[in-house]
Amino acid sequence: MEQLTGNVFNIQRYTIHDGPGLRTELFLKGCPLRCKWCSNPESWRLHSEPGIYQSKCISGKLCGACQDVCPEGDIFTFSEDEDKLIGIDRTKCSKCMKCYDECPSDAIKLWGKHMTVEECMDVIRRDKGYYDRSGGGVTVSGGDPLVQSDFVAALFKQCKEEGFQTCLESTFYSKWEEAEKILPYTDIIISDLKHMDTKVHRKWTGVHNERILENLKRITDDNREFILRIPVIPGINDDKKNIEASADFILNELQGRIRVLQLLSFMRLGEEKYASLNMPYQMDFIDLDRESFTEHVNEIADYFNSRGIHCVVGTKEKE
Amino acid sequence: MSMTNTHTTACGTEPFDKNYCIGYQVHHEDWSPFPRVNHLRQTFLDGKYWIDIERLRLVTETYQKYENKLPRKVLCAKAFENILLNCTLYIYDEDLIVGEIAAPAKASPIYPEFSVNWIIEEILNSPFEERAHDQFYIRNDEERAEIVELCKWWQGRSVADMIEARLTDDQIKGSEAGEKIFQTNLYHYAGAGHLSLDYSRLMSLGFDGLIDEAKKYKAALDMRDVEYNNKVEFYDSVIITYEAAKKYIERYAKLAEEKAAVEKDPKRKEELLGIAKSCYEVAGPAPKTYWGAMQLFNVATELLKVEGNGHSISYGRFDQWLYPFYKHDVDNGIITKEFALELLEVEYVKMNNATKLKDKGSMALRNGRGFGGESLTVGGVDKYGHDATNDMTMLCLEASVHTRMMNPWLCVRMHKDTPYELLIKTTECIRAGYGHPKLFNDETAIKGMLRKGMSLEEARDYICVGCVEIDLPGKEYGWHDAAYVNTPKMMEMVMNGGRSMNTGKQLGPDTGSLETYKSFDEVLESVNAQFKYWTDQMCSSLCMIDNCHRARKPLPYLSGFYEDAMKSGHDLTEGGAKYNGIGPQASGLATSTDILCTIKQLVFEEKKCTGAELLQAVKDNWVGHEKLYAYVNSSKVHHYGNDDDYADELFKFMFECYCKNVAGRTTPRGGQFNPGVYSVNANVAMGLNTNASLDGRKKGEPISENMGPVHTAFSSHDISGPTALVNSLTKVDHSLASNGTLMNLRFPQDAVSGIEGRDNLANFIEEYINKGAMHVQFNVMSVATMKAAQKKPEDYKDMLVRVAGYSAYFVELGKPLQDDLIGRTELHF
Repeated sequence: MEQLTGNVFNIQRYTIHDGPGLRTELFLKGCPLRCKWCSNPESWRLHSEPGIYQSKCISGKLCGACQDVCPEGDIFTFSEDEDKLIGIDRTKCSKCMKCYDECPSDAIKLWGKHMTVEECMDVIRRDKGYYDRSGGGVTVSGGDPLVQSDFVAALFKQCKEEGFQTCLESTFYSKWEEAEKILPYTDIIISDLKHMDTKVHRKWTGVHNERILENLKRITDDNREFILRIPVIPGINDDKKNIEASADFILNELQGRIRVLQLLSFMRLGEEKYASLNMPYQMDFIDLDRESFTEHVNEIADYFNSRGIHCVVGTKEKE
Repeated sequence: MSMTNTHTTACGTEPFDKNYCIGYQVHHEDWSPFPRVNHLRQTFLDGKYWIDIERLRLVTETYQKYENKLPRKVLCAKAFENILLNCTLYIYDEDLIVGEIAAPAKASPIYPEFSVNWIIEEILNSPFEERAHDQFYIRNDEERAEIVELCKWWQGRSVADMIEARLTDDQIKGSEAGEKIFQTNLYHYAGAGHLSLDYSRLMSLGFDGLIDEAKKYKAALDMRDVEYNNKVEFYDSVIITYEAAKKYIERYAKLAEEKAAVEKDPKRKEELLGIAKSCYEVAGPAPKTYWGAMQLFNVATELLKVEGNGHSISYGRFDQWLYPFYKHDVDNGIITKEFALELLEVEYVKMNNATKLKDKGSMALRNGRGFGGESLTVGGVDKYGHDATNDMTMLCLEASVHTRMMNPWLCVRMHKDTPYELLIKTTECIRAGYGHPKLFNDETAIKGMLRKGMSLEEARDYICVGCVEIDLPGKEYGWHDAAYVNTPKMMEMVMNGGRSMNTGKQLGPDTGSLETYKSFDEVLESVNAQFKYWTDQMCSSLCMIDNCHRARKPLPYLSGFYEDAMKSGHDLTEGGAKYNGIGPQASGLATSTDILCTIKQLVFEEKKCTGAELLQAVKDNWVGHEKLYAYVNSSKVHHYGNDDDYADELFKFMFECYCKNVAGRTTPRGGQFNPGVYSVNANVAMGLNTNASLDGRKKGEPISENMGPVHTAFSSHDISGPTALVNSLTKVDHSLASNGTLMNLRFPQDAVSGIEGRDNLANFIEEYINKGAMHVQFNVMSVATMKAAQKKPEDYKDMLVRVAGYSAYFVELGKPLQDDLIGRTELHF
């Protein structure tokens, strides 16, 4: 039998935002949502793909290793002024990743590496001392890890056997059965409320919200350690009506059973990743006065707190 | 959570968990709760740096009168006496403690006994006023001419002149005068420093007690002792200097009284009388009060810098030796805790006054106009191995975060039972982002001290002197920081058959070259052989330099504070201390490590290219080898700093190879050589002088700093975050470097903000210590730093910005995102 692998596009050691303490975070490929504000577009597709970092390219003429090795012919575009790699014809790319293998300069990055549970554990174990001292552990994020639920279940099972705390960050758009594979080995869950109106939800994320809300209810019904987040996107979900509906949902449907509600203020993140995939960045239309927006987000936090929902801006408790 | 369960009742004037601020704050001038301290601090910061002629005049006067008429030690003592009896005294507005280095604040004396040629040369050809940084001003043209005139008299008479007459051609070719593979500048041109008095002993004896000891030992000398005269001269010279010190303190007491007599402000009048009282209290006798102890501390320490100009004169275990005076005065209602803190802060500011003019070459290695390296150690275990934290420990941290100046270089000793309250207070100081304190790991440092042959009780009493050197106060004359070894420069010899890459000239032995090596083992053997050859050159030079100090510049004032010197009748330069080391340090080990990675992986494993091709690439400064240059800088080649065992094994090889080639050698004072692994900021100057290297460095770029990873113009070689970096650097036994290791870590403000951020940092520190590293200091980044980073991104390559689920190197982000992050941070704090 072929060994179970996960497609991992990043392993971030010493993360401090997604769960308590000092953590190692694994980012997995594949996501059913297409949130327009997403800062990790390289996570969307389940398959591995090449990303381009133009500034690292030493020039097509001096090097040209990617073109020489590509079995699909001339699918690379170089800038006219500096002769640096700026594009790959994704319709012709067969994802063989030979260009990544041969690129001498990290100008072509591999988004998505197939790793076994043991290979992941080898990285995880190295920072055990830091987790133990800080109450930290392992977080799996994405993408949406439920897309690779068998792998995550095997990984978390191994983590629990070795005494590592586990945290799952997911959209919970999948069928409950996928989550059920992982939850027995999961200590902490992180998920989002993106919008309460399912039509608006679909417009901005590509999917309806009913199944997500249903799954979130099941999480709180089981009294699980649960951190809920709202990515606050100006003009999209930060209006009074949606905020009030969100509060109602947390209190009435989730029975307020969340450890904390974290408001993540919109930031222009991931633009260079969109560029690396030759994809357009979709949030250009937002022109933000940072100061007044921050004030607005603080007001939203005050509102939730006034409703009896413990709410912070960002991922940390206030000093 | 497993943060330390040990607690302490020791406390300062503020809660142990008080948050001061996160990161550097621009234009903030009132950190201290004491207006006096803020004024003194600002006055200091606003002043210019001067050169003061007085010491030069007085010391020359003595030498011109008595040279060849008095024994050398007595001559030195007489010069010291002449300075103390005749130098101008300074009592500054609002100050509470007196005593300077025979020059006003921020003015450097001149020490012609050590070296003069560079002073004459630089005054005539590249004036100190016109330096790009580290400028010094001479008061007027008359003094300028007089300095040159007086210095000319010293030509041929200084320690440096003697050294230069004795260096062999082989020693010169690798030294600062040649290829700069090793640089012995510091003690070639100036005094050794890097020590601390045994302050407990001083505080219990006072100058009178020390004089009595000298008289007692002198009276007990045996005339059959072949060194009889030598020892008589030693005791006589000690007595001369301590009598002079007493008179110097009395002069200050009188001046304070005179000033009080004409002072209109009654409060200031009382303070001036307090200064006079504290001076009389210790102008001979041992101190009885906290103020008296602080006064004696200041004078005794500053006078070390009248005798010689060695840097890193440090302050011992400050919280330990000062505590009995503090406790006595507070318990008896003589002072309040607040006054104890205010006086401490006044002294902290005063510690910045001493200023040292350095030659161009030394300045390049160690820029900065203070003496540098004035470390003040607190915390740690006592001689029985129990935690030694007390109120003074906490007050020393508060004074540090209230003054935020270059000096003192606060050092907190950490161990497995460091109390929670001290850990948190230390973390709060680090988070404030002003660069202090540095942390030392007791377990590893004590192991390092044991390697120097000390007893466990002695080892537990270690302090930091200078940047990272571990030392035993009052017992060790360690010649720490004796030389810098540019290991990547030495690797040029390994690459190129012992020949200079610049001239092709044969410099070292031909131990093979990239054109001849048949296996990677041969490369490692060649590294070892070159290390041996160049450490031979360096260590023999240092022994000779040590001998020149003994012949020309004995240090009676310093020596008398050392119990073993007093007992033996030997000056420190003659081996009078109990421990007599010399500590030269290796720089650029990560650069050398990544060079080895390139060779091993590309030539012997992947066979991507031949050794000859690599050699040509660095000879061509990578021009025409762009693909290769990108590749060795890419994440596809193993690099130190990523918790990658392949590279980390080679780092271990480099680290141990240097240490074993230095350790085990004997010093002329009867001690042992002690290797260190650090560069402080000398890696920049060394890089300027180093050809392109196989780690992917181009000619002139800095070599790697201290224990840190490689950053080239093309890329940062550590890409796996701080835990991976720490794992890499703790795969070596730091105690092998018994002269110290140094690690700088940078965190963005965001990573340490909030209670969780504080705890994450505290936990990180605990685990860092647990893993056995010897030293660490942190930089917490600010908005100002990020803006500066935008202007000069090449200097900020490794600054990580981390946000939820996303992280990146700041300078690799687009400008709009950078601006956004800056905006968020400013609003956040």
